[in-house]
Amino acid sequence: MSFETISNLVAAFFTLCIFSFLYKDNPFYQMAEQLLVGISVGYGVVYSYERIFIPWLYQPIFLKHQYILIIPALIGSLYLFRFSRNLSWLSRYPIAFSMMSVGAGVPLAMHASILVQMRQAMVPLESLNLVIIFIGTIAVLLYFYFSKAHTGLYGKFTTIGKWYMMIGFGASFGLTVMARISLLIGRIQFLVGDVLGLIK
Amino acid sequence: MNFFERLQALDRRWIYIVVALAIIIPLMVPYNSDVVTTPPTENLYQLIDSYSDRPDRAILISFYHDAATMPELYPMEIAILRHCFERKIKVFTMTFIAAGAPIIDYAINTVKEEYPEIQSGVDYCNFGYKIMPMITALGMGDNIATAIDTDAEGRKLANLPIMQGIVNYNEMNLIIETSGSVAGGTWITYARSKFGANVAVGVTAVMAADEYPFLQSGQLIGMLTGLKGAAEYEKLVDVFAAYRDDYFPKGRPFSKEILRDKSINKLINITTQTQAVFSPQEYQSFLSKYPEQKAILDKIKTDQDGKVAFDVTKISAQAQKDLGDKVWNALNKKTYNILYKFKTARIGMNAQSIAHIMIFAFILIGNIGYFVTRAKDKKAAGR
Repeated sequence: MSFETISNLVAAFFTLCIFSFLYKDNPFYQMAEQLLVGISVGYGVVYSYERIFIPWLYQPIFLKHQYILIIPALIGSLYLFRFSRNLSWLSRYPIAFSMMSVGAGVPLAMHASILVQMRQAMVPLESLNLVIIFIGTIAVLLYFYFSKAHTGLYGKFTTIGKWYMMIGFGASFGLTVMARISLLIGRIQFLVGDVLGLIK
Repeated sequence: MNFFERLQALDRRWIYIVVALAIIIPLMVPYNSDVVTTPPTENLYQLIDSYSDRPDRAILISFYHDAATMPELYPMEIAILRHCFERKIKVFTMTFIAAGAPIIDYAINTVKEEYPEIQSGVDYCNFGYKIMPMITALGMGDNIATAIDTDAEGRKLANLPIMQGIVNYNEMNLIIETSGSVAGGTWITYARSKFGANVAVGVTAVMAADEYPFLQSGQLIGMLTGLKGAAEYEKLVDVFAAYRDDYFPKGRPFSKEILRDKSINKLINITTQTQAVFSPQEYQSFLSKYPEQKAILDKIKTDQDGKVAFDVTKISAQAQKDLGDKVWNALNKKTYNILYKFKTARIGMNAQSIAHIMIFAFILIGNIGYFVTRAKDKKAAGR
């Protein structure tokens, strides 16, 4: 029996274990679920050790003698004090350092997520699409302006905003159904095609 | 209890069985259906295709997902890699999550099986698992070889042939991120805003609604949406990149007119194709390429409405051996049969269509049942 056959059979067994939850909760489902979590964490730890710790810390310090790296390594290891009730405050230092990178990213994130989006909402209304987007943007923004009662003409306009959102939610629901069905298709393609060889 | 009341009280497990059947049957009995391509997919395809045969251009695929979203994202990755290998486009791959690393290997190896001439470090390079997305994305804006340093196999990037002519985002001017969560965020924020790199995404359908504002603003040059996006891309690769004839020995460029032409139907059949059919002129041209096999080909050919046909499943093992690998492969190519791994998304979309019709029917029947039951209850309360 080839390695591929064995791996396919193992994967098929655990796929069926997970699917068995559709009938009702059972020990096979729980075993598969817990194995998935355990293996994922174990894989992540080993892979990070091999691909991050060894080439980025161990080898530079012990083989290339870049001792300056000991300082960030010590700061990083302060994360481990999260597990100590008395010394957990020490873990805030590496968090503070990582927040620097968050701060560094703010101007560019502001540009990408807010300024460009705003600029794109201020283009000349040259096509029907742009008119629809323009009305939708204003109507939805006004719907969330609560300092004025949603009554009269203003209320009717904010209702348009509500309809825009409803259409958006409907589109999201449709896409969600599509995504979930796709996942099921993927698993069934594996079972029927890769394992049983019934798809040509 | 009438029909609708029974339906309202139906055990959900019956619905699961119906859903499963609605998916299994179309998968096991595939049928040819067209997948209409959309501008976000076409734009991405065209940009990648514009880098064809250019040593000073490359693309990067960022695999930002684990196995959970593979059914939707993996066919996209396969299709894009196939496009790159068909059209000799330099391609880099990387991931920011550990669980994405084996998926990259799996995808590259799956496609590479059909392209034995493609070499690691020359035609493609896997950067592997990298940490600190912001620093990596910003660093690559200055120098990719410095920011990445070594590839997944531990080779110094600067020494690899693929890096000749590739320095930063000026050359590697397209980043495609496939993700089941917020796709492209890192690249839009750092690579696009600061360096003007082109960014595209391949997302699960559930995330598509979140990505449309970036598409509309032009921050994304293209987007593949779920299984449908993957199916669209598979089709474009079959119609253009993988197309071969005397005029286009290395694939043909994208054209809307060709997409509208009925003649492409034979290129996109997802059912198994076994017939290699030649017009008399095509057959003469084919023979002129392989004159030594003329006698064998003439012996095994059949006539089909004035055309020369070969059913590759009916050619004996001895005849295959006599023809030789080159002619045998050329005959198989002429059947336009698509390998299963290159049509997974399209086969899946058949099941998707049936499942959608079924869900639509469920919603319709459920609503009718609800209103009928409510009317009955009201009537009973009125008495």
